Amino acid sequence: MSGPLIAVEGLHRHYRVGGEIVRALDGVSFAIARGEWVAIVGQSGSGKSTLMNVIGCLDTPTSGSYRLAGADVEKLADDALADLRNREIGFVFQTFQLLPRASALANVELPLVYRGLPRRERRARAEAALRAVGLENRMHHRPNELSGGQRQRVAIARALVGDPSLLLADEPTGNLDSATGEEIVRLFAELHTRGHTILLVTHEPRLAARCPRAIRLSDGRVVGDGPGAEVAAAGPARVVPA
Amino acid sequence: MRRGWRALRRGAVRAGAETSEAVRIAVQALAGARLRSFLTTLGIVIGVMTVIAIVAIIQGLNRSFEAQIGNLGAHTLYVSKFKWFNTSDEWWEMRNRRNLGRPELQAVEREAASAVAVAPMAQLRGTIVRADKEAPFILVIGTTARYLDTNGVQIAHGRFLSDVDEGLSRSSIVLGADVTDRLFPGFRPEEIVGRKVTVEERPFTVVGLVARRGRMLGLNMDTNVMVPYSTFLRDLGSKRSITIAVATEPGKLEALEDELVGILRRVRHVPPGKKDDFAVNKQDQMIRMYEQLTGALYGVAIGVGLITLVVGGIGIMNIMLVSVTERTREIGVRRALGARRRTILLQFLVESSVVAALGGAAGTALGLGVAQLVAALTPLAAAVTPSAVGLGLGFSAAVGLIFGSWPAWRAARLDPVEALRYE
Repeated sequence: MSGPLIAVEGLHRHYRVGGEIVRALDGVSFAIARGEWVAIVGQSGSGKSTLMNVIGCLDTPTSGSYRLAGADVEKLADDALADLRNREIGFVFQTFQLLPRASALANVELPLVYRGLPRRERRARAEAALRAVGLENRMHHRPNELSGGQRQRVAIARALVGDPSLLLADEPTGNLDSATGEEIVRLFAELHTRGHTILLVTHEPRLAARCPRAIRLSDGRVVGDGPGAEVAAAGPARVVPA
Repeated sequence: MRRGWRALRRGAVRAGAETSEAVRIAVQALAGARLRSFLTTLGIVIGVMTVIAIVAIIQGLNRSFEAQIGNLGAHTLYVSKFKWFNTSDEWWEMRNRRNLGRPELQAVEREAASAVAVAPMAQLRGTIVRADKEAPFILVIGTTARYLDTNGVQIAHGRFLSDVDEGLSRSSIVLGADVTDRLFPGFRPEEIVGRKVTVEERPFTVVGLVARRGRMLGLNMDTNVMVPYSTFLRDLGSKRSITIAVATEPGKLEALEDELVGILRRVRHVPPGKKDDFAVNKQDQMIRMYEQLTGALYGVAIGVGLITLVVGGIGIMNIMLVSVTERTREIGVRRALGARRRTILLQFLVESSVVAALGGAAGTALGLGVAQLVAALTPLAAAVTPSAVGLGLGFSAAVGLIFGSWPAWRAARLDPVEALRYE
């Protein structure tokens, strides 16, 4: 497939809070090619969560265009968005968001259930995904029987199991201690070298600096786009034109 | 073409997987909150239990009633001064009517073309004595051999009254089963036939024993004795109004009724335009009376059951709303992973139906238990038909669906972004 995996153009997302209009995204444009590892950085309130929701097809923009893997996302209805999320996006959340009563295996199988795969195939692929993140001995544990790092690995396995185009991680190390966080970052680096496209939303400059590319948001606008180390070092004050 | 087929297959697999997933989730969610699930279903359990128990008892009643009603003779009309199931006002009017007697009997015997058997029934309550044994308050019926055909009586031993008994006004008597037990305890049947008893101090000879008939509408049919009609008139009184039992063939009941009304009006000289001064009674009346009674009972049972089911349904709705709120984040996660709105809807609908159906199953089991208990402890019989069980289960699952639909709809309408952020 030619062209970038993600192309956003003049993206706006406005909320009405009280009588006032809040411009969470105020004309955001960029493109991300397949195989890239990109960090979205910015302070809280910069609009990066809103951007992640739009790119994750959980939210639709007020105006502007968003193409994901060739699909015009802003034109899709709810069911189509659900299918697109299921096929193209693997979510990794800060708080893991595993289903507490289900085993690691059942959690990882879930996206395949919604894709309509037969049980045997689901089982095989979920087991493979858990092996890929080093959890072959924890498949039948429930989330509360796993450590924080292990839970995030389950979440990553769940994100990968459907073989999506895009891995979308929201502060994936935010709830982990630094050593465990480092493990997870290394896992992302490994996934990157294997060819996965990763979009990582974070407020930590150190994490952004590890990424080959970073995009900085401030007040709903792109204020920096370049190699991770440079954008991270630039800080919020300096505006680097894209 | 091939692609379409594949898409269809994938859709079917998806729907199947989602449904089985929904059932699995429902069972997990219920197992995770056992006490709560139990309390939630209690309303349904009680509702279904009530309905099943009452329906079982009514069906038991129906069955024994149907068996008993056969005692009357299915195609027999009973001509009498009194109408069955009358009001007290009517009773006074009927009491003052002219008695029915031989003239009416002979007219019916002679003229009723649709009749296959006609038997008089003169009745009194009397005491029967044998040696030191006494049977008080026994219904003594003066009748003829035709009574066998009109009233469906079966002889266990000996014979029934014959035309010779009637013609010679012999003092023959046929005993009901309870009377036999009372007067001849420990006797073998063949020893009883030929023995003497007294009815109101007049001697009679036992010629036969009636097979046990059981009770009908609380009336013991085995405390009757039968003597020849002519003997009854001679020895036990001729001033009573009699009942004339007239049997016909299947399908001729209405024709017979018309004939009887015509005959009786003429014999009794009822002027045209005046009301009948007699009544033609039939099983139908008893069945209708009975159906009125049990119909009211059915209505009450179903009303009570429905109210309890609605209360139970509200309980289910309440708990499902709580469940949806508690699992808001789970819903957000599922939506993020690709669940459509209707998938979420299905999940919660399945959950509420499973809760309700489990409650229905428990209620059915308890209801059957109660019915068996009632059958064991009281004279009431209980019969459970599969339809009652199906009704109980079906109703409760429907309640789960109906009352679960609003919470499920709310779950499906949740915005995924909001749901994921929910604390």
